[in-house]
Amino acid sequence: MFRTRFLHHTLLAAGLSLSLLTTPAAHARSEASVAVSALPVASLVGASAAVSAVTTVPLALSAGGAVLVVKTVELSAQGTVWVLERLSDGARASVRLSSRAAGATSVGVGTLVTVSLTGAGVLLSAAGQVLAFIPNAMGEALLANEQVTR
Amino acid sequence: MKLRPIVVALMLAASAGAAQAGQSCEQKPLTPQALQRGLELALQTQAALDAAHQRDGTRVVVLARAGQDLSAHGLRHSHLGWAYRWPDGTWRVLHKLNDCGTAQGQLYRQGLGVFFLDDLWRHEAAWVVPAAELQAPLHAALSAGERPLRVHQPAYSMVSYAWGTRFQQSNQWALEALAAMLEPGVTATTNAREPAQAWLRFKGYQPTRLTVRPLQRLGARVGTAHIAFDDHPNELRFSDRIDTVTVDSVFAWMAASGLSGPVQTLALPATN
Repeated sequence: MFRTRFLHHTLLAAGLSLSLLTTPAAHARSEASVAVSALPVASLVGASAAVSAVTTVPLALSAGGAVLVVKTVELSAQGTVWVLERLSDGARASVRLSSRAAGATSVGVGTLVTVSLTGAGVLLSAAGQVLAFIPNAMGEALLANEQVTR
Repeated sequence: MKLRPIVVALMLAASAGAAQAGQSCEQKPLTPQALQRGLELALQTQAALDAAHQRDGTRVVVLARAGQDLSAHGLRHSHLGWAYRWPDGTWRVLHKLNDCGTAQGQLYRQGLGVFFLDDLWRHEAAWVVPAAELQAPLHAALSAGERPLRVHQPAYSMVSYAWGTRFQQSNQWALEALAAMLEPGVTATTNAREPAQAWLRFKGYQPTRLTVRPLQRLGARVGTAHIAFDDHPNELRFSDRIDTVTVDSVFAWMAASGLSGPVQTLALPATN
């Protein structure tokens, strides 16, 4: 089973952030890694770590543009599990998010979720926001995040 | 609405510090488009680096992103790190990040996706490939990890003086790490930053000289923990000159001195 992670570091890249000095405050671009901190990384329930991630993507999540409905939401100490059902054919998949990741979104039974496929994994979104990202093996490497000094 | 810098400086100076500091640390909802573009840039960069590895054995590059619009300063990229090939054939970037809302910075080892999943100004990667004879020592030093860490200074200011040791911004760490990895004498001393900077001077590195007016200094300094100007020499600071390490100056110097090849870029098409 894939490890559920939530990249929660809120960081500023310590690069040159001269926007504070030169650009309108309303347009200021920071180097904050807010996108990463806001990325709810999820895992598939029932997927085997012994098999490559690509082959374990269930049918319900295998086609970009598909729309799924949230059938159940289960809360547990390990996080939140959504059972999703594809509208077109009823194919189902279960996705687990960490407690913190799930807390960032408000997903209830009946929420419609859109599937997008990327080279790094499966993206679930609703109403213009990312609900969950399920990385494949490539995505796991791209999202590696380790603090080296403290 | 386009405001003149002096107006912005006054706005910043007049605003509560916490609000300004908070703005740069603001948690924004991640859009599917932003995630897809960041990952796409990471995947294309990885493919380009893999191709370089296949072609000539490249295992280390100095990698930059464009998180800021610095065109007013004649600069194209804002932040750099050391990207190197991992044992499993993927790539990691060792770089320095400022802990949000503080005057501290730490080193992180991240995948290319994390590196580019920022609120980028422009989805463009840029890198230089260190010379062939430097690839093995740099890769060994990055993999072992100890030597680049010797020049890390947690005290952080994003416009730190290039030849000072009181603060250290991220590009400055990356540049000093180059000295630490290539010159054995640098890490033989207690304070490795001083000999690292001496080596960089000897090798002809020149920081970018920025013009920062007093009101801009004041505006940026008030309430922002991660910006300081008092490490700069008075004769420069009070004549509105700030010498600091930039991506563009590092790339230009490395290419001109033969430490690397020319700058290579990879950009995603702009979207509306």
